[in-house]
Amino acid sequence: MASFWIVLLSVTAGTLVYSVFSCLPGLHVYNVMGLLVLAILGLEAKGIAVPPEVFIPMMTGMIVNWSMVNTIPSVLLGTPDESALFTVLPGQKYLMVGRGYEGTMITAVGSLAGAFFLVCVVAPFAPKYLPVSQEALKGHMHWVLWIIITFILMSEWPKGGNRGRAGWAKFWDAWGSLLAGVCTFVLAGLMGFILLNRSPVSHEVAFQNIMPAFVGLFAVPWCLLNIISAADVPPQRTTDSLDIDGDIILRSVWSGGLGGGFAAYMPIVTGGVGGLLAGHACAQREERIFVMGQGVSKFVYYVGAFMFLFVPGLNLSRGGGAWMVKTLYTPASTADYLMIVGSIAVSAALSFLMISPLAKLTLRLIDKFNYRHVSSVALAIIVVMVFAMTGWVGLFIAAVGTGVGLLPVLFGSRRLNCLGILLLPIACNMSGFGETIAGWLGLN
Amino acid sequence: MKGFSHFMSGVAVASFCPWSIEQALHGNPIFFILGGACGILPDTLDFKFYRFFYDHDVYVEPDPANLDPQAIADEVARAVKMGVDEHRYIRLKLSSIRLGADFWQQYQVEFDNENMEVLVRFGPVTNTGQVPVPGTQHRYPQIGRAKLPAKVIQTYDAKLKVDIFDGPTIGLAPRNDGDFDLEFLPWHREWSHALTIGFFLGLLWLGACSLFGHWLIGLQGLLLMTCCYAIHIIEDQLGHMGSNLFYPFTKNRTPGLHWMHSGDGLANFMAVWISCLLIFWNLHRALPNPVYEFSLAKLFLVALVVPGLLFWGLRWLLTRKDGLEVEAGDDADDEWNDMKAGQG
Repeated sequence: MASFWIVLLSVTAGTLVYSVFSCLPGLHVYNVMGLLVLAILGLEAKGIAVPPEVFIPMMTGMIVNWSMVNTIPSVLLGTPDESALFTVLPGQKYLMVGRGYEGTMITAVGSLAGAFFLVCVVAPFAPKYLPVSQEALKGHMHWVLWIIITFILMSEWPKGGNRGRAGWAKFWDAWGSLLAGVCTFVLAGLMGFILLNRSPVSHEVAFQNIMPAFVGLFAVPWCLLNIISAADVPPQRTTDSLDIDGDIILRSVWSGGLGGGFAAYMPIVTGGVGGLLAGHACAQREERIFVMGQGVSKFVYYVGAFMFLFVPGLNLSRGGGAWMVKTLYTPASTADYLMIVGSIAVSAALSFLMISPLAKLTLRLIDKFNYRHVSSVALAIIVVMVFAMTGWVGLFIAAVGTGVGLLPVLFGSRRLNCLGILLLPIACNMSGFGETIAGWLGLN
Repeated sequence: MKGFSHFMSGVAVASFCPWSIEQALHGNPIFFILGGACGILPDTLDFKFYRFFYDHDVYVEPDPANLDPQAIADEVARAVKMGVDEHRYIRLKLSSIRLGADFWQQYQVEFDNENMEVLVRFGPVTNTGQVPVPGTQHRYPQIGRAKLPAKVIQTYDAKLKVDIFDGPTIGLAPRNDGDFDLEFLPWHREWSHALTIGFFLGLLWLGACSLFGHWLIGLQGLLLMTCCYAIHIIEDQLGHMGSNLFYPFTKNRTPGLHWMHSGDGLANFMAVWISCLLIFWNLHRALPNPVYEFSLAKLFLVALVVPGLLFWGLRWLLTRKDGLEVEAGDDADDEWNDMKAGQG
């Protein structure tokens, strides 16, 4: 019985405390978890053992809270992480017509629906079916990554070439954005090769290796765009009811659950990619389903990936959270799994209740200050975070990442191409020729 | 069908080739990449290459600074008159109207054959996600009208709505009775959607491989590319528009079976999901000593039938009071809009 209260207290503390961090733009949960792991290891070195019933539910609370509450800075402050890539555009459109609160809450409902999906549908069946699929798929992950890359590159629509007579001029006008997309993918991929093979980041913060690049690729360009081009945000109104029904929630869970679940299960595939594929597979064009589905997808992606580590008979390490926990503890029993599932349920409920007041608080901030100033402060926080964790080297990496991340903004291509930073080097490594290519690049 | 459905169908076809799995287990993903790429390639050829080289007789390019539906109607009427005077096939391009980085003025062209008129009306301003901007619906209440010298008969229900990115092409095909058939996106499925083209591309692959002495990989690729390209054509043939199946030996599209619309959400999802299950089944079959044994029927029961029934049962419960009706789309229109949608 004492264990029950310890777990409950830990997950509650993790959730409540982390809600402050979740509202900060640009701070990924894995960065904070990394620091927590270092702290736990430090305590263990001094002979103070932290029991798993304390840190595992606490970390669960952090991940669950972040995947839900981080919708607020993603949508309202325009500083998305990669998995929120698709949410942000329609989410910001809600903001620009004075309905930022509604956009945030629709995404939050999606996250809660994702929690139901994970706890009530996935969790009971995962121990029975996921090991079966793992057996068949384990030698084939590399080509799945390659076909995802192929689809990402082949499915982008040429944005130009809309006017004028037929011919090469029209063709090149159209292909400008496509070539910029391919260029972004390749440059990001090269950056990934460098960071994964010869990272300039100090080995003491090796777990933050890729963070500055991600911040540069995804968050900084968004902030810069807001600062340069953002019109004044109109006064925001809140509402007591959202224009959604059970059918919209069900269809959101369908598309978001598929996308997030796929991303959680596959190595390196992130929530943004899962969302892209599920969006194409389910063909849902309704904007509310789109926004809510991304809430589902982000939750299932981050929390599902963490949960898979604890599934009996599977114990799959996916996502930074699972890898960090593995350095401290190896899940062994069904009791661990039940503890995680219960922690997810508790934390999701608490986090959902906190989103509304936190969103209102943030909107009050936006109403009070110029949106450009809010974006500037968000950018400053991001820069400070990167510097605090990785120093000048990290800032340099973020600056390079920003250069690459601005290409899609300037040429109107897909921002998802920036994911080449992970997809390209990892796909090469998994297929067995990553080292050869690294050798060609002089990185061995 | 939609691009992703074709892509996954191509990968599924590739998974039926034993050499794809064998090579993949040795770290070579090329046959699966070829499968997916060939699955989507017919549409890629049309939408990313051919349409930019397709010349038009009349280009309707409205001035964003001076929006006038009458000018558009006059230009469309001029195209029809050109067809009557010269008695030939006319290609008409309706260009989009970009108002800003993320804003487009929507307009709709409608043929009223009873009154022998073309009507043009402006809709709302939409963003690039095709979502109307509130308050812009009735900014231009006037309707542009122009008299037509002949009727323009729509052979299928394509909506002539122009909004984001590129606008559509209309083909005006003269009929024996002096009127015109309207063909939506005449450059689409003209030559690219032919079984012969898949084989031709396979031959190119074989030629390239033979240069390096890889005859076996070349032959395997030839078979795989032909089949994966063909699955796209076969799937499209289930819809309305059809394809020009044996170009250059055939000149016109063979009409589809009318079993579905290319934009049907259920049909597309089923194509993707069944493809995933077939890929999974083929990978499982290739395991030398599988721990878990199951049949294809059981796989489909567990992964398709049961969750499908649960989903539709729930959906029925949630929507039974609303009497929800799903509007059927048109083949070309759905493909056209789908290609443009979801480009985040």
